[in-house]
Amino acid sequence: MAAYLSMGEAHRRINDYLSRLSDAISDSDGAALASLLAVSSAPASTPLSDALAAFPDFARLASDRFPHLSDFLPQLLRAIHSHSTRRFSDAYSSFEKAASAFLQEFRNWETPWAMEAMHTVALEIRLLAEKADRELAMSGKNPDKLQAAGSFLMKVFGALAVKGPKRVGALYVTCQLFKIYFRLGTVNLCRSVIRSIETARNFDFEDFPVKDKVTYMYYTGRLEVFNENFLVADQKLTYALVHCNPQSESNLRKILKFLIPVKLSIGVLPSRALLEKYNLIEYADIVTSLTRGDLRLLKQALDTHEDQLLKSGVYLVLEKLELQVYRRLVKKIHIIQRQKEPAKAHQIKLDVLVKTLRWLGIQMDVDEVECIMACLIYKNLIKGYFAHKSKVLVLSKQDPFPKLNGKPI
Amino acid sequence: MASHGAAAAAGSDATSVEVSGMCQTNQPAYPPVPSGDHSWSSSTGAATVSWNYPVDNQSQAAVYYDPQRDVSVSGDNQNVASSVPPVVQSTMGLTSASQSHVPYSNSLQHGYNPPEYTNYYYNNYPQTTNTSAQQGGANQHSGAAYQPLTSFQNSGSYVDPTSNTYYNDGGHQTAPGYGTNNYYYQHDTWNHGSSENNYAQPYQNCSSSDTSLVQSSSSVPANSFSYQQQYNQWPYYYNHSVPSSAGNPVAGSSNTDNRSVNTVSSYSYPSSEPPPPGTTSWKSNSGPSVAPPVQAPGVLEPQNQYVKPAQEISGFQYQYGYHAPGAPLSQNYYANQAVYPQNTMNVNHVPVNNHGDQHKSGSLTTDTSSENKVQVPVNPRIAPGFSMVIPKSEKKILGADLAKKPAYVSVSVPENDAKAVQHVPDARSLPFSLRNYSMRNLNRCKDEAQKVACQSIIQEITNKAISDGTLLTKNWDTEPLFPLPENLLTTPETSSANNSSPLSTSTPRRRLKSRWEPVLEGNVTDKVEPVAKALMNGSTQSVFVTSNNMVNNWDAGKFLQSRHTPLNKITKRPTKKQKIGSYSSPMQNGNTSSDSDKEQGLTKYYTNATALANSPEEKKRREHRSKRFEKGKDSSSKSRSSAANKDSMAHVRARRAISALVTSNYEDGGSLAVEDMDWDALTVKGTCQEIEKRYLRLTSAPDPSTVRPEHVLEKALSMVDTSLKNYLYKCDQLKSIRQDLTVQRIQNELTVKVYETHARLALQAGDLPEFNQCQSQLKRLYREGNKGCYFEFSAYNLLCVMLHSNNKRDLLSSMASLSKEAKQDGAVKHALAVHSALSSGNYVIFFKLYKQAPNLNSCLMELYVERMRFEAIKCMSRSYRPTVPVVYVAQILGFLRIDTDGSVLNGDDRSDECEIWLKAHGAILSVDNSGELQIDTKASSTTLYMPEPENAVAHGDASLAVGDFFART
Repeated sequence: MAAYLSMGEAHRRINDYLSRLSDAISDSDGAALASLLAVSSAPASTPLSDALAAFPDFARLASDRFPHLSDFLPQLLRAIHSHSTRRFSDAYSSFEKAASAFLQEFRNWETPWAMEAMHTVALEIRLLAEKADRELAMSGKNPDKLQAAGSFLMKVFGALAVKGPKRVGALYVTCQLFKIYFRLGTVNLCRSVIRSIETARNFDFEDFPVKDKVTYMYYTGRLEVFNENFLVADQKLTYALVHCNPQSESNLRKILKFLIPVKLSIGVLPSRALLEKYNLIEYADIVTSLTRGDLRLLKQALDTHEDQLLKSGVYLVLEKLELQVYRRLVKKIHIIQRQKEPAKAHQIKLDVLVKTLRWLGIQMDVDEVECIMACLIYKNLIKGYFAHKSKVLVLSKQDPFPKLNGKPI
Repeated sequence: MASHGAAAAAGSDATSVEVSGMCQTNQPAYPPVPSGDHSWSSSTGAATVSWNYPVDNQSQAAVYYDPQRDVSVSGDNQNVASSVPPVVQSTMGLTSASQSHVPYSNSLQHGYNPPEYTNYYYNNYPQTTNTSAQQGGANQHSGAAYQPLTSFQNSGSYVDPTSNTYYNDGGHQTAPGYGTNNYYYQHDTWNHGSSENNYAQPYQNCSSSDTSLVQSSSSVPANSFSYQQQYNQWPYYYNHSVPSSAGNPVAGSSNTDNRSVNTVSSYSYPSSEPPPPGTTSWKSNSGPSVAPPVQAPGVLEPQNQYVKPAQEISGFQYQYGYHAPGAPLSQNYYANQAVYPQNTMNVNHVPVNNHGDQHKSGSLTTDTSSENKVQVPVNPRIAPGFSMVIPKSEKKILGADLAKKPAYVSVSVPENDAKAVQHVPDARSLPFSLRNYSMRNLNRCKDEAQKVACQSIIQEITNKAISDGTLLTKNWDTEPLFPLPENLLTTPETSSANNSSPLSTSTPRRRLKSRWEPVLEGNVTDKVEPVAKALMNGSTQSVFVTSNNMVNNWDAGKFLQSRHTPLNKITKRPTKKQKIGSYSSPMQNGNTSSDSDKEQGLTKYYTNATALANSPEEKKRREHRSKRFEKGKDSSSKSRSSAANKDSMAHVRARRAISALVTSNYEDGGSLAVEDMDWDALTVKGTCQEIEKRYLRLTSAPDPSTVRPEHVLEKALSMVDTSLKNYLYKCDQLKSIRQDLTVQRIQNELTVKVYETHARLALQAGDLPEFNQCQSQLKRLYREGNKGCYFEFSAYNLLCVMLHSNNKRDLLSSMASLSKEAKQDGAVKHALAVHSALSSGNYVIFFKLYKQAPNLNSCLMELYVERMRFEAIKCMSRSYRPTVPVVYVAQILGFLRIDTDGSVLNGDDRSDECEIWLKAHGAILSVDNSGELQIDTKASSTTLYMPEPENAVAHGDASLAVGDFFART
């Protein structure tokens, strides 16, 4: 940073920036414009920000020079200046005003040349809002900027969700909205956007850029996990996984973080290598417990990673694997019995089960175990029936443990 | 007449007067002592009445007395009062409107009775007694006859004194409506008094009135929820009262008459011309046998006829009472309907004459005439009389206002003035308005000395204005009248006076200033008081006259209004607003005003809610409100009477400042954001000492006199804790406690305790919505660091989410928010165990946990038991073959209680219960070889179903069932 900046130099730099901006607009150069609008990615000190600091009257300069952009440029400069001085809340407010003005103009442009810039604005406003909220929360104020950004992006979405070439840009904004809603915990707001994306005729999903599609699928897949809609979640997350850029491992990991529990719940187990490659070791024990029928291990694993799993929202999904572990246990007993006593292989005494569980350190009385067996049968994890009188679980002789085959429990 | 009117206004004084004779002269002679004793003792007639009264009361009380009443009615005192009329009056301190009513009724009855109908005499007596006692006997009667109503009546009776005062001082919006109700009920009660046979009547009347309300003005929602509606209703009530008086003669409970506004009109007819309806009514009085053909449908037994006179009288009384108390209110009405009053006046006169002639009681005639005027107000149609009457009334009113105003200061007047101002541009009226202002002030003066003092004050004011340069800019019409040098008076008239301006009458317009101007704050009670004082001072005549006029105007206005309302919604609305303003002012609560504005916005909505007006719910609500106001009145009146006038003035000013603040906020921004308001400045500090208080959702700013301070709330909470009453009562009490906490912004351990108590009670009663309200508040309170049973409620929260909301994300966040310590807590552990039982569908564990549930976890689980059992039986019928013993199922699904040693307790009973349940859910049972009952699982698996809950209600809340309301306390 220059220790001292003359007024003339500052004036020149600001003028330079303004000219480039103006030129980008008049030349319909979306990429150039987008780069000029990237406020939050700028370091604390840039030539421009120094100039703005040295030339406090920049707002008037901008509006004098480009009167037709007077509702845009001064606010944008203010946002840049506030951001460089780390006043994020102010920066957000100014940027939102500038963005509104920009959106206004954007609506009037027939061609989508400025789509890139619009996306930058959408991204910037979210990032700025997050910073602003952090700042507000630190100072004990109500962090409401992200919410405001959400409603602004809804406006942007409205401007893009129209017939014409602009619509391909809508999914990007949708994804930004998802990010905001997930962060705010107001994911139910996603529904309206999803509906317009998936039902509106003017959208053909395949037309959207791949990166947006992947993001979109990732978020909608997560939503389905919340709803315990495992088949749809599997489908969406798998799409995201397949189409995700294989280079971006962090993105793949994020997808797998949700895809693995979903797959587990429909009976598909990941390899150890996969878990290790993407550093998803927290699932390793769970997978092991599923293969071994080790109920104790499952409970331990859930306990150990409880906070993490609760936070990501897959805890409840994994918790439901319990029945699968029981099934595995019964299956193991069945296999052992078949080796020992083939004639009675399909009859499993309740006592045996209770003993097994006790051996695993799980204290359950007969009624409870009986109930679990009933549930396994009821949920089609086991074929057979339970004879209450003799306390025997009678397995079907044909395929007593049907594969889930993608069927959720 | 004039004297009577005055008496009415004066209240106790009036009664005494009446008793003594119909003569005006007598009244002045009587000392206007507030205590009822005086009134009783004063006249022989009264004395007899009094004697009768106790008897009646007792008998009635014995039969009808509702223990609940006491409970419901906050003031035990009130009850006492009812039993002992004198006490009531004395306690009131203020001459209550009801009292004033009484006198009227008495006088009327007397007149009737002595001259012509000895037979009726008897009837009249009861009436008089009732009237004197007012609510005591009569109310109880009604109460007995009709429970839901009782509450009303009770409130009415208690309120009456209070309610009237309430109008006067309370200024609460609701109050008026209730007051009317009360009156109305009183009618009924009166009827009762006259003839015991009529018990049913009150009920009928009530219902009829309700229906009539609805019918008469579809546009005007009857008793519906909003206060504003109630305002609308006023006219109704009036109508009712009128019709009842008219129609009653024919049939004690002439529903037909009451039903529609038309009846009112008919009534008016009679008034204008002696012949048909009017005559009938009168005749009915004279001869029991005569049943007016017009009202034929309603013709009842002879007894009814007896009742008739009484009813008529009562009707009169009602109106009277209204007038007196309502005077302040009348302003509003007046303004809207100014034109009409005149007509009514004329009409009234005519009937009056008839009365007088028939009865031939000379002394009474004057009284009756006045009364008649009051009652009659009926026909707007009769235009001719108009102009004539109006001027008179106006003048009188003015006089009265002036005289009375001092106490209230600027209150009612400013409003009216403001209206007037609107009509007349300031520029033109400037000199004139100032003159008016001084005139107004001067007119208030009772005597020369005061006048002189006033003049000097006016001079000062004028000089000041000149020096300020505000002489021309000041809005003299809105300038509050200064307090009279001597605090004498009441304002009701003032309002009417303002109304008198022809302009103001017709239209609803916006006031220049906001409605809630502090100015409005005059208290009805105060007004009444002044009147009484005035009487004492010996300036009875003029005051009386004015009051009478006032009354007349009032009635007229109301009638007019009532007529208008159905026709013209627009007019209606403005009136309401004005009323609100006036009411709020009496409340002395500047804050009130702020909210009343919003209310107005809601008026329409409420209006639309008419359909609900007659629902038991609504009735109950009304009851609530009325009771509440009672209390409010009580306390406020007391404080007022006790406080020196100057003090009260200061109080008013302080309030005004607040209200001004609010007002300015509203005016400036129109829509000033809520956050921008200075809540600290508006936070209420309660002064109410009542421990018990019914819940009423606030529709205006809280009145400190009805808000209990923290230490009282603590007592209230412990009262609720130890109370043996049912949940509905406790819920109501707790809600009022919560409200008081909220308006005072008390957030501490007590708040937590209150919410916890309420949440637990709600859980025990299975009232999830209420529980959720408390729970969300508790979450916030805990988060803000208030100590409480955090773990216990964390467990409830978990259970609630997992069992009743089925929202996975909520459950996740609830679980994620649990701290390590919380997870070690027994209750939380239990809740988590329930969760895992649910997630794996383990019904056995679920029901085990259900039995071991700590705290009230079982209450939450209980709500899920039915579903869990059904799930379980579905599961069992699917997985068990070939059968499952019913005893086993009963034990597993919590039908059986297992003793600690494992033996089954009451096994047969429980498995019977299980069997019934199974059958109800479509399970197929069979008996095996050993004679044990088994479930045929294969057959059952296809026949299971979830039966419709037997006690299901269309609206989904069985606790809202109609029958339940009658059981509520």
